[in-house]
Amino acid sequence: MYIFQVTALLIALLYYGNAQTSTVAVNPTILGSELSADGLKQLAAIVAPQSPVFHPSRGSYFSLNLLSAFPEDLEVSDYCVELLAIFGQRYSTYVNCLVSAARPVKVCQNCYGSYDNLMDIYTNISSDQMGPGNVSCRDSLLRSDRLMLVFLLYNNMEDIWTGSECNSCVSLGLHSLTNDTLYFMATLNQSLRCFEKFQQGNHSALCKECKATYRGLNELYSRMEKNRTLCIDIEDSMNMTRRLWSKNFNCSFPRAENVPVIAVSSFMLFLPIIFYLSSFLHSEQKKRKLIHPKRAKSNTSLVNIQDRLS
Amino acid sequence: MANITKKVSWSSRGDESGGGERTPLLNGSEEVRYTRQVGLLSGEGGMFHIGRLSTVDLEEDMTSDESSQGHHVSMSSIDGVKVCVCVFQSLDYDNSENQLFLEEERRMSFLGFKCLEISRWVICGLIGFLTGLIACCIDIAVENLAGVKYYVVKQNIEKFTEVGGLSISLILWAVLNSAFVMVGAVIVAFFEPGAAGSGIPQIKCYLNGVKIPRVVRLKTLVVKVCGVICSVAGGLAVGKEGPMIHSGAVVAAGVSQGRSTSLKKDFKIFEYFRRDTEKRDFVSAGAAAGVSAAFGAPVGGVLFSLEEGASFWNQMLTWRIFFASMISTFTLNFFLSIYNNKPGDLSSPGLINFGRFESDSVAYNLYEIPLFIVMGAAGGLLGALFNILNYWLTIFRIRYVHRPCLQVMEAMLVAAVTATVSFAMIYFSNDCQPLGPDQSEDYPLQLFCADGEYNSMATAFFNTPERSVRSLFHNPPGSYNPLTLSLFTLTYFFLACWTYGLTVSAGVFIPSLLIGAAWGRLFGILLAAITPNGSVWAVPGKYALMGAAAQLGGIVRMTLSLTVIMVEATGNVTYGLPIMLVLLTAKIVGDYFVEGLYDIHIKLQSVPFLHLEAPATSHWLTAREVMGAPVTCFNRIEKVGTIVDVLSNTSTNHNGFPVIVPVLGKICGLILRSQLIVLLKHKVFVELARSRLTQRKLQLKDFRDAYPRFPPIQSIHVSQDERECMMDLTEFMNPTPYTVPQETSLPRVFKLFRALGLRHLVVVDSENRVVGLVTRKDLARYHLGKHGLEEMQLAQT
Repeated sequence: MYIFQVTALLIALLYYGNAQTSTVAVNPTILGSELSADGLKQLAAIVAPQSPVFHPSRGSYFSLNLLSAFPEDLEVSDYCVELLAIFGQRYSTYVNCLVSAARPVKVCQNCYGSYDNLMDIYTNISSDQMGPGNVSCRDSLLRSDRLMLVFLLYNNMEDIWTGSECNSCVSLGLHSLTNDTLYFMATLNQSLRCFEKFQQGNHSALCKECKATYRGLNELYSRMEKNRTLCIDIEDSMNMTRRLWSKNFNCSFPRAENVPVIAVSSFMLFLPIIFYLSSFLHSEQKKRKLIHPKRAKSNTSLVNIQDRLS
Repeated sequence: MANITKKVSWSSRGDESGGGERTPLLNGSEEVRYTRQVGLLSGEGGMFHIGRLSTVDLEEDMTSDESSQGHHVSMSSIDGVKVCVCVFQSLDYDNSENQLFLEEERRMSFLGFKCLEISRWVICGLIGFLTGLIACCIDIAVENLAGVKYYVVKQNIEKFTEVGGLSISLILWAVLNSAFVMVGAVIVAFFEPGAAGSGIPQIKCYLNGVKIPRVVRLKTLVVKVCGVICSVAGGLAVGKEGPMIHSGAVVAAGVSQGRSTSLKKDFKIFEYFRRDTEKRDFVSAGAAAGVSAAFGAPVGGVLFSLEEGASFWNQMLTWRIFFASMISTFTLNFFLSIYNNKPGDLSSPGLINFGRFESDSVAYNLYEIPLFIVMGAAGGLLGALFNILNYWLTIFRIRYVHRPCLQVMEAMLVAAVTATVSFAMIYFSNDCQPLGPDQSEDYPLQLFCADGEYNSMATAFFNTPERSVRSLFHNPPGSYNPLTLSLFTLTYFFLACWTYGLTVSAGVFIPSLLIGAAWGRLFGILLAAITPNGSVWAVPGKYALMGAAAQLGGIVRMTLSLTVIMVEATGNVTYGLPIMLVLLTAKIVGDYFVEGLYDIHIKLQSVPFLHLEAPATSHWLTAREVMGAPVTCFNRIEKVGTIVDVLSNTSTNHNGFPVIVPVLGKICGLILRSQLIVLLKHKVFVELARSRLTQRKLQLKDFRDAYPRFPPIQSIHVSQDERECMMDLTEFMNPTPYTVPQETSLPRVFKLFRALGLRHLVVVDSENRVVGLVTRKDLARYHLGKHGLEEMQLAQT
């Protein structure tokens, strides 16, 4: 018996290592708690479904349906199925929102609510708090199989969220946009309104009139850049505005002072020529004292050389 | 006037007992001279062409020679071209096993030897540590100074882009550059000219056995470090890597002696190492530590020392040098991590960080190897062009720009022009690229680009060279357009060529890498454009790396060590083969035209440098023809007056004197000038020893205390009475100097010098009588020119 326990422990430890590498994002405290003796037994139980005996059953949905139900302790409880359904719903809401906000990018300002919902349900699923009927859905939903679909799906969404850096635009509890963002939007709108007003006719008027607001916007943007309070929405809208300003309205600075630059440059380039010429003409060449070294009685050697040469 | 009418003078003097190392005869009377026109010989595959450049002003040469009959010193305007200069002394790598030495060895216990071994390791560790620390200081200072400069200029440019007046920014930039460079050039030109340039030629010479004056002094180190900071911050087309090697060598020479003569501070440690042999070992460790700190390449550093100073080598030394290298790169790493607020993160191993080539896209394929070889050939050609241009420029500088104030002015002008050219390039460039999310550009300049974009030319010019190299290696494809790159390559090539050789301390590694990276990247872009699906495999960054290797190889012609340095600096072993092929091709192609840049500069400084092998067709030359004769010898027991007279004869600045048995003239030892001076200073006279029995016996320690700056003979006062005393040299001379018979061939003598690091080699006849003395300069005079063996002139200063 003792030996059996030890073996189970070893297998459990092995599996624990695997699980840890593959499910990094799962709350580490939960994993930590599994180190207790109690948790180890539980883990040993999880190892079982992975064993080859159960392999064929992983094939397809059909075959799974054809099988009669698994024993009690392996089946997913109703509560978890319910959670899963809610997860699916919120997931699709969020994805829909993302797609509709893809261009121009508004993923943070439009979708933070649905992301918040999604996060809630996922936290619910992944928490190790027992639900009704003393079941935890964390293991059964998240980590029972190789694919770990629920985790994977959520992970993707999380990546999108972090990649768009929405956290810097949305307040901490994901309930509203931050004041900075709102202020930026207001300033942006101001600029855009100005653009609209002067769009007709000569662009040079636009460049002149909207310069102040545009510059204000630019400064605000670079301040926010320094504070790292930018998210993809702000970056994208700023990019669009800049492109409007520089490309469409052609308000960048013109290359206007070719003549002075060329004049100063050629003056500078002329200096070394003068320098080298004058040092060539005025500086005296360095002289070297040559020494003729003593050599051995050279009559013979000179003759030798000539002999050898001829 | 080509290569004809060059006199070769053979002279000998019967009565004069002079000889030794250098022999200008001043007051001879019965002079026999054989003057001959070599032009006659040229038709017969002549042997003694002294290159074209050395035949200038022959008339003057003639007249001065005639006016000073019997006076073998003539003025000529030869500019260090194919001339050997006498100021350079040899180092003494051959240990003098005199009686004092044997005594000391007897006294030393087994434990003492162990302690010596341990202290060698301690010194190597210290060398590595201090070198790394210096590298760290240089890096931080350059970063900050350049940062401030670019910030100021950038603010200014931004301001004036809007309101007009960009020419003022241009002037500001030029003035800032010149100001930095002025500081750097002034300290070099006025305080320590030895710190000019990269220092690698000097260290090469030192390891070869030539004592370049003041090359390993503390003052040189200080000037070098400050100078390199100024010149890099001053925006010159230079790098800080070459000077690191020199700095490492100076640190090594200082630490291993356990004292500083400049600061007059003696720590009374490491006294055993106060001689040339030990010092040289440590200097090679210092050079390795310098390379290692510069490139983050410890193995490359060891191989650099091996490649450049390989005439002496043993396995234990290699291991110690490797230790010093590792410590150096580790120290740099550690302190930089603290500076960057990431203590303990050891991921910035060198001054230059090539970044990592790790992704799959940088893998190379078999069909790319011919392309790499083509790039290597291109690098060799461009390198040869660079060297030739620089050679001419250096000759011009030696001739006409030799006054310190002119040199400072020249450096300032170069700095100003560099700024001007860069500014003009940036100003007229139309290449705008969108700002990346990761802000890889440190000082993005917008200028006339659309908002949110930056001027791509500015990443190359408006940046320290190291960062430009890195952005050329790693910026994603499409960050540069081909026109920008080709313009950049062209301008930077000429700027770098113009800059190297200025009187500022600056290296040539980084500019070469930068030129190569630019054209390499251009090559990659064009390749991707002309081949179908080329954009998949022709990653510009990879070709930039190969181009950089090719260009650097084409300029400096280093082989093994450079390969390893490049591999280590990129951290990618898979590039070993292509880099090796590239360097191989570059060297072969480049050597066909002209030698490497360092060798050119060694030659222009007229250093008696012994290459790996004796000139190929020199077997017919024997020691008799090569040696200096007759030789000034001393008797075993010599009169003090004679010694003082010989030593203070300014025209014969000999350093080694064979000691002979009186009457018979047989050789029984060799004594050095430095030893004689110490003896005179301590008044080790036979008479005094007899009268004062209690007198302390002279020890090896007394010689070591005077090392390496032995006082000149003029500072030693010898009274008239003392002149009549006698001095017994038996105890102090080297009783077993190397000797060769007269018929020994030049290559054989050469091998002895090269392998043993000899300073003097006595030539004896069959009776063991001294007939001549061969020194390094006698050997270095011969070199293989275009028309066979050529002999160089000797010159003072």
